Amino acid sequence: MALLGENGAGKSTLVKALAGLIEPDSGTIEVDGAPATLYPSGRSQAAGVAVVHQEYSSVPTMTVAENLVLGQSGVPSVWWPRALNSRARELLAQVGLEDVDPRTPVEHLTVAEMQLLEVARLLVRDARILIFDEPTAALTDREIDRVLAVIRRLVEDGRSVIYVTHRLAEVFRLTDRVTVFRNGRSLPPEPTGELDVDAVINRMLGRELEAMFPPRDTLVDEPLLAVEGLLAPGLVAPVGFTLRRGEILGLTGQLGSGAGTTVQALAGRLPQTAGRVVLKDEEISVRTHRASVDHGFGYCTADRKRDGIFANRAIRENLSSPWLDSIANRVGWVSRRGERERATDIAKRFAIDTERLESPVAALSGGNQQKVAVGKWLGTEPQVLLLEEPTRGVDVGARAEIYTSLRRLCASGLGIVVVSSDMPEVLGLCDTIATFYRGRLTSIAPHDQRSEEELAREVMHHDPSEAVP
Amino acid sequence: MSEASTAPPATARGGQDLPGPSADRREQLSTALVVGAVVVAVAVAVAVTPNFLSVDNVRAILRNAAIVGIVAVAMTPITLSGNFISLGTQQSAMAAMVIFIALVGTGWPPAAAIAVVLVALVAVGVIQGLVVAAGLNPVITTLAAGAIIFGVVADATDGQIVRVGEHAVSWGNSTIAGVPLEVLVFLLFTIAVGTFMTKSVSGRRMVLAGANRETAEVSGISFRRVTIGAFVIFSIGLAIAGVLSGAGFGEATIQSLSTLTIESLAAILVGGTAITGGYGSPWRSAGGAVLIAVISNVMVLNDFSTGGRLAVQGAVVVIVVVLLEWLRRRREVR
Repeated sequence: MALLGENGAGKSTLVKALAGLIEPDSGTIEVDGAPATLYPSGRSQAAGVAVVHQEYSSVPTMTVAENLVLGQSGVPSVWWPRALNSRARELLAQVGLEDVDPRTPVEHLTVAEMQLLEVARLLVRDARILIFDEPTAALTDREIDRVLAVIRRLVEDGRSVIYVTHRLAEVFRLTDRVTVFRNGRSLPPEPTGELDVDAVINRMLGRELEAMFPPRDTLVDEPLLAVEGLLAPGLVAPVGFTLRRGEILGLTGQLGSGAGTTVQALAGRLPQTAGRVVLKDEEISVRTHRASVDHGFGYCTADRKRDGIFANRAIRENLSSPWLDSIANRVGWVSRRGERERATDIAKRFAIDTERLESPVAALSGGNQQKVAVGKWLGTEPQVLLLEEPTRGVDVGARAEIYTSLRRLCASGLGIVVVSSDMPEVLGLCDTIATFYRGRLTSIAPHDQRSEEELAREVMHHDPSEAVP
Repeated sequence: MSEASTAPPATARGGQDLPGPSADRREQLSTALVVGAVVVAVAVAVAVTPNFLSVDNVRAILRNAAIVGIVAVAMTPITLSGNFISLGTQQSAMAAMVIFIALVGTGWPPAAAIAVVLVALVAVGVIQGLVVAAGLNPVITTLAAGAIIFGVVADATDGQIVRVGEHAVSWGNSTIAGVPLEVLVFLLFTIAVGTFMTKSVSGRRMVLAGANRETAEVSGISFRRVTIGAFVIFSIGLAIAGVLSGAGFGEATIQSLSTLTIESLAAILVGGTAITGGYGSPWRSAGGAVLIAVISNVMVLNDFSTGGRLAVQGAVVVIVVVLLEWLRRRREVR
């Protein structure tokens, strides 16, 4: 059973109620046909309900085996590592982690392995109803395959799974039924087989989504940024491309492919070991982040909570953080009026509520936080925007708004480089698409010469042997 | 892995936009709390202590608050910018005091002595700022710097008392319109630092760097410049505190101002500045210093033992900090 819906539609609230973290105001829950009380969480666990959260609850410095027994009842207070490890191996095998040594510290696992370890921890408790809350949000395609395969196996063993996700493709690959949430209400469940992607999106939005992706403009062939022979740690072959005025260039590839490395080097966040960067016929140096910003590059990483926003500061202060100098008077004081005017202007262009400029960013939804993280660069009058995963963890509605805003920026003469592992996004949004594989730029072509299958092949190519069944 | 993202994405979990008051509301609440605490403390003091509100006693309280307050206000930018606190506070202020007295005592004009003290302290502060900005833990750095300064001064003075002798500074204990000099300086310094932090570009950057250092760097804010700036303000405050104490007492030893580190820290915490940075205000640190001085004064007038006074002061810090934290959580849950 899939649970779908935009951010704030009510999915997480339902999951919390099932996990016993919040008490339902009214209504009944039945387990195996009998009414059940799932609050507080102890009762929920006793009823066999278990939630795999997106944020991992493992202790990173402890070993895999130790984490498996953590928080379990009936564990002896002294144990023999050997017995522990062999028990751990059995559990790991059940979740497809037979190749992981139970003695490995959890911090050495990949994100996907950690996710599967979370599942193994729930199996220890003999959970019968597993709830997955966006398990694949941080995973690459291949890792997703792995997690989905394990989930399918759990279902075959007779367990029931509720699967919360933003990714529609997974819904069709995995689930039998779909329940869509919208504005705190759920629609009746429908068999997945009777739906297609458009139908699901329509149900989520409650309206036709004609254009999630805004139409492209005709590009004038005017080079804005030329990168030649760029090398940085993580790139094994020189990277070169040209970004035209008004163009959105997509760089796609799996984790570690070099797509992210390329923009990080251009943003001066990674040492650039070779190459020329030419902005409007003039060679520039972007070897430090400061230089990159001064030359009119705006940069937004994939992890907005870590380095994209000041969560507890007001939206206005977030927006003005990169361009404080330009609103300073002679003695170095912030011009409040200048700040407010420009912040309001940015907010309008990025569909951020201008009434809420004084609210802390933390109070916004993920989508709106992302708009702030990207939008703040508009105040520097940038020439080039470098964006990594600009819509990760962002709901469908806010995505469409972000795409539209980016396209509008292009119309005003900017160039945008987007790094994204989301194939439909790359295909729908970008004018030109470059693929990366293991530190090389492997192909670059206009979007209309690309298909999703071809792109998938490009980013995974060269070693089909590694593909997970 | 140099690639972007092994960390889980920053999804607004459960996440619609939350209705909610502005970010300023939290500031206002904390300010109200500090002011409220001072009012309550004064009310209690008036009830249990005769003559508490006499001009002489109020003046005494403010004089006690002034030196700690100046240092607390000066340290607030360090805390706000995410550099925690300085554990070398007493040693630096004491060094300023000793240098000032020693120079004046050997016949230097006070103005020149003040200039030397300022330059020396700012230099020491900039060095500490550079070390901290290079990635060393600020608590350890300032602790070590304090030990070095203490050692050097102890060696130079041989542990003896340094006196101004016949060159006593005329304005040492002066009052202007009935207000003691150090109280006036405390007020002006608080206004200056408070305004700087809220109105200037540099002050804003300090707060942002403390709120989220990574985001600040991606936004093009230099953590190094922010840190050095904060240490410069701190050093100026220490120099002022040292000079005022030196001018007032006319003598100093390495043991002078011995409770300054802990009291200025207490004032900052009571003022509700987040120890991790990004949130707080020099004004409230000043309020914290006054609060502590009031409580301390009441206890002195009521013949509390030294130990009892310290214990109560500690308890007050804990209570106010817990109260602030409780307020913050309550507001975040809603």
